[in-house]
Amino acid sequence: MDQDELLENEKVEKILSPHPLSFIGLQSLCMFLIVWGVLIGWLANFSDLKNLFAGYWVIILAWGLVLLIVGIIASLITIRWRIFFLYFGVFICGICLMLWMGSLDSAGIFIPFYMVAISIIGFLIVELYRRSHKYIISSHRIVFKGGVITKQERTLRYDKITDINSKQGILGQIFGFGTIIPISQSGFGLGIDNTFAAGGVQVGEKKVKFLGLFGGGKEVQTPRTRSYYELHGVHPYKEIKKIVENLVQGSVITPYQQEQVAFQKEQVDIQKQMRDLLKKQSGQNEEDQEIERKTI
Amino acid sequence: MAGSLIDIIVFAPLAPIFGVILFWFIQLLFIENLKYLLTKIRDNHEPLCRFTNFLGILFQTICHALGYTVTKSGISSFYISVNYGKVAPKREKTGVFEWMSNAFLFIGPFFIPSTLLLIYLFFLMDKGFNIISTTNYTFSGNLTAFGENLYYFSEGFIGFLSNIDLLHPAHLGFFILLIFLGLGTRPSFIGEKKPEKVDMLFDLKNIRYNILHKPLYIFILFLIVYFLSYISFLFKQNWYVTLFSILGWLSIIAIISLIVAYLIIILIKLTDEIPGLWKLLPYITIPVSYLSMRSFFLYYPYSFSKSVSILVTIISTSLVVFVLLKYRTNKFKTKVDIKSLMKLGEGEKDGPR
Repeated sequence: MDQDELLENEKVEKILSPHPLSFIGLQSLCMFLIVWGVLIGWLANFSDLKNLFAGYWVIILAWGLVLLIVGIIASLITIRWRIFFLYFGVFICGICLMLWMGSLDSAGIFIPFYMVAISIIGFLIVELYRRSHKYIISSHRIVFKGGVITKQERTLRYDKITDINSKQGILGQIFGFGTIIPISQSGFGLGIDNTFAAGGVQVGEKKVKFLGLFGGGKEVQTPRTRSYYELHGVHPYKEIKKIVENLVQGSVITPYQQEQVAFQKEQVDIQKQMRDLLKKQSGQNEEDQEIERKTI
Repeated sequence: MAGSLIDIIVFAPLAPIFGVILFWFIQLLFIENLKYLLTKIRDNHEPLCRFTNFLGILFQTICHALGYTVTKSGISSFYISVNYGKVAPKREKTGVFEWMSNAFLFIGPFFIPSTLLLIYLFFLMDKGFNIISTTNYTFSGNLTAFGENLYYFSEGFIGFLSNIDLLHPAHLGFFILLIFLGLGTRPSFIGEKKPEKVDMLFDLKNIRYNILHKPLYIFILFLIVYFLSYISFLFKQNWYVTLFSILGWLSIIAIISLIVAYLIIILIKLTDEIPGLWKLLPYITIPVSYLSMRSFFLYYPYSFSKSVSILVTIISTSLVVFVLLKYRTNKFKTKVDIKSLMKLGEGEKDGPR
């Protein structure tokens, strides 16, 4: 953070970045590409089942099918369809490349190398994305910065924080990192989990058709936000959590302090009234003295 | 049939029990050694120790949950973290059910993870699962049969490990699981702080308490074991020895996994002494040497290519570590080196003449 970005009397406590393993979800998408690529290469070239993969179309079919099925499953679990489209893109690009290079016949060799190359690019993009995150904890506020192409920034003052949600997965517990989500008064930092159930009924085959849809939904508010707007995978987790909680606590007025402020206000009002009264009295005295002087 | 009636009735059933206890005790000693080594690297490798701790707790909580499931107590909550694991039953059961679930908690972690590996091994290993049939139902006969079963299994298992194909996904998966089993057979530490240590004596105390707390159950257990032995004897089948041989196999799997984990921890400990980026060299040597050898044998086929590749990997890694320790650290300094260093020191002290 530049010096000119700091407010008056503001002091930077910590400048943080996410832990290298905090984006393991994204990294595991790349890891799967390596594992599946190597596995398909092994199946097609070295395994006992290599006769099954004799034709190049069998290899491509098996490769694409598993890739897309895993993409659909991962998308359904994480409720992010971009995973499916990502894997679909990898599949289409692979086929286009093979057609362009005329290496369809050697799909069993091309696919492992292609998958490893794609996953290396994936790892680099994830690393670039991770490095774009910067969290600045100062004495006045938390500044969240990020963005590879579009730069994003969020500033949160401690007195506007109503809640702090923190979570630490198994990997986080092992390596000592975790995520802290400060929830603001406006509800920034809260997401919604939606569940929906639906069913369809069809009666009759030729003449009468009836289709009914029965559905229901449930919503649960849960602490969730983009990694740019939370302290994502910060290390050392416990220390950072304590610092943030102390700073939030320091900017919140407790009921006792509120009472004291009210009492002090009352005192100031009384003192003001007394001063006015004294002023009035001293003004009257001066008038009396003037009248006396005139009469003399 | 040879042997006296007393031998057959009283002593013969005890033979495989003693065998299993002996192997289990050896397993305990190996666990203690691994824990000791882990304490040595804890300061530099806190995440690794947390990981081994997690594996240990994971195995233990799974065994505990299994205990509650088997006794039909049900599981109301299952919690696991790096430092702590907890399983709560749905219905609190007492008596034999409580005793059984405790037995699963205390003894399960030694055998249940190995059972999973044994099942995995069953699909990979083609020999070693031979059961020796005995006609001599005496103490010595049972002990010999038990020993032979273990010998054939060990031979097959070590043969499989020395010929393991690390480029085969199933073999690689097995090897990774073997390492995980070795690292987490029992937790290195429970709790974030060091002092609250769970050692061999802690385990033995718990098991002793479980035995002495309900002597009647142990008596019933022995009765069942003896009954099984007599049935085996009457039907002229060696079910009894086979059952205990499987427990022995589990111990052997656990012991070998502990040895593999021990070697890995030793490598980590030794590389810690090497300064700078040189410490990464042994870790790079492992895949590079193995893949080079496998590629070499791809063009020059040889019947022992896999075992030779593993051997070359082990030797080259050890050699790299030795060379780095000799030339990058003060380790392995010979007498001549030390004397010449001392002379050099004295010369510097006296100043140039």
